Amino acid sequence: MVKTLIQATADGVMMGSIYGLVAVGLTIIFGIMRVINFAQGSLLMVGMFTTYWLWVGLGINPYLSIPVVVAVAFAIGYLLQRYLLNHLLRSETDREPLSALILTMGLWLALDNLSLLLFGPQYRMAQTSEPRLMLGFLTVSLPRLMAFVLSVGGVSLLTLFLNRSRVGTQMRAVGQDRRTSVLMGVNSYHIYAVAFGIGASITAIGGALLVPFHYVYPTVGVLYSVRTFVVVVLGGLGSIPGALLGGILIGLMDSIGAQFIKASWVTVIIYLVFLLVLFVKPSGLMGVEKE
Amino acid sequence: MSMQQKRFRLTSLLMTAILALSVLAGCAKPGGNKSAEQSAPAVTEVKVGMLLPLSGGSAPVGEQTKAAADFAAARINAAGGIKSLGGAKLKLIYADSKGDQQVGVSETERLITQEKVAVVMGAYQSAVTMTSTQGAERLKVPYINPIAVADGITERGFQYVFRITAKASAKAKVHMDFLPYIAKQTGKEIKSVAFVYENTDWGQSTAKAWKEAAPKLGYKVVLDEAYTNNMQDATPIATKVKGANPDVVLLVSYTGDAIQLVTAMAKLQVDAMAIMGAAGGYADPKFLPSVGKNGDLLYDIAAWSPDIEKPAAKQINEEFKAKYNYELNGEMVDQILGMYVLADALERAKSVDPQKLRDALAATDMKGRIVDISIYSGIKFDQSGQNMYASELLVQFQNGARKTVFPVEVAPKENKPVFPVPKWADRK
Repeated sequence: MVKTLIQATADGVMMGSIYGLVAVGLTIIFGIMRVINFAQGSLLMVGMFTTYWLWVGLGINPYLSIPVVVAVAFAIGYLLQRYLLNHLLRSETDREPLSALILTMGLWLALDNLSLLLFGPQYRMAQTSEPRLMLGFLTVSLPRLMAFVLSVGGVSLLTLFLNRSRVGTQMRAVGQDRRTSVLMGVNSYHIYAVAFGIGASITAIGGALLVPFHYVYPTVGVLYSVRTFVVVVLGGLGSIPGALLGGILIGLMDSIGAQFIKASWVTVIIYLVFLLVLFVKPSGLMGVEKE
Repeated sequence: MSMQQKRFRLTSLLMTAILALSVLAGCAKPGGNKSAEQSAPAVTEVKVGMLLPLSGGSAPVGEQTKAAADFAAARINAAGGIKSLGGAKLKLIYADSKGDQQVGVSETERLITQEKVAVVMGAYQSAVTMTSTQGAERLKVPYINPIAVADGITERGFQYVFRITAKASAKAKVHMDFLPYIAKQTGKEIKSVAFVYENTDWGQSTAKAWKEAAPKLGYKVVLDEAYTNNMQDATPIATKVKGANPDVVLLVSYTGDAIQLVTAMAKLQVDAMAIMGAAGGYADPKFLPSVGKNGDLLYDIAAWSPDIEKPAAKQINEEFKAKYNYELNGEMVDQILGMYVLADALERAKSVDPQKLRDALAATDMKGRIVDISIYSGIKFDQSGQNMYASELLVQFQNGARKTVFPVEVAPKENKPVFPVPKWADRK
């Protein structure tokens, strides 16, 4: 039993770090723009397909194609924000942008169906065997370990960027108080576009990390959508370390919980824990209380 | 109101109008014949409603079923269509269930009330078939179910539902017939079994039959794990299976989860004497390429297999492969048979009137000819609408191919089941 628990813990942390990374992308977009992006799962799918085609088509190692994935996703995110969402945000400067929410739902449908049209519905696996490391009785899947390392690394780099760079500071300012930062000379709409671009690329990196062991198909984003929202809210809306922590927690609950109860029940337990946390601390585990 | 506000209002009004128009355009069917063409004396085509998952998690198998249906209908039409209706051709009208029960219900109603189909065929997935057949029964339109296996589909006293393939409980019997047989053949005792199955009607029906049979054979059920479809990660369940250490693992999954489970169990080196699937995802042609060596020596059940000792089977497989570049499987053959059953019933009914068609379907008694592409000895529906002659066989993945190994009567003599399968560490 102990062996099983240790295996489950290792797997839970590794898988959870990916949930966390994907959620960080979503939390950036929400934290800075107060936009709930329903198309986040589709952006994950974009990252996955980009990595898949580069690997299968051109033989490029998935980890080496991350810069390409970042560029593609950033471009998509930036352009979407600049030409579609910013219009909406401009006309609703006094309120939370609800119409932006609906727009992102439309984007989700459009992106998923475009992918379905272009690539067809079949499942694609980039490689059939997961290379692994045996540490005694513990099986450690190498691609998942890589995913963990790169997720944590990526989030750390992002946090550094947000705290130390000029653009990062501007992003944090806009996230804290839109109006004041505009008064201080920040071009908020440009920052929104950058934020959306970064949010999209972080999630897309999560997709790239999944390709070595996860199957790829047009609606794969839907598999992650609900869970990503849970992770983001659990960790605290707008909190990046919170999203990563939330992801790992959920990965652990998933993995360890499944050892004791039926898999279908684990999902129920996860949601119950989620509700409990919100009850006790509504702003999430690491969220900041807003006055 | 400022100029900018006015412009914004106008733009949003315009976009709403465009959206509304495109929604309406989506509703109107191009070339849709809303008049009562069907009941007019000169019938040139028979509209067949096809409800299938063409998007979502089961889209791959939905597409394959569509291919089989198109293939069969084209064949029937090329041979002269429905001769008793003056050579009327079968026209397949597809509706996407998206793998969702609610969508299945509304699409069935749309097919019947707006597309005015004479019959509905569907829906591959048991859960969707269970609910969509209710609509057809209520509207008194025949519903042919070639593939979905959940027992309950034909156990509700419905008059308009007909099933070609065997029920889940009958299919589950194959595993429980094979295990004592092979244990006796090899002298290896089987003490424990683990069931891992998707938790909708299909998985539940199959697992129920297994759970009833196992104690009678003296097998201890060490794991009874129902999971929700479309798992993000099967590693937790695979870890649980490894911990339970069963002699035999029995699985019911759709494609995505099948790939994940088999890969995870291979990765964690779950060493059971046999790992057995129950068609569905395991029978998907995409399954084996996606799992590669991890699928070696896996067992699976099927309503059909390309290597069965029947010339008609091999011939139709070649014909299909020439057109679509992949082989048939049990589900696709059931779909082909379903189309021919419909054609046969239409010939006898000499009408597309739902009541007459329903009665003709109920009186179906087909033997030989097209039925010989399968292992069924015939197609005849009992009182509940279940094909009495449906049966199932067992295959094992050997050298990248599905080889029929059981029952011995249909299995090629050179196919020998490997049992117990070698440990993962001992495999290349």
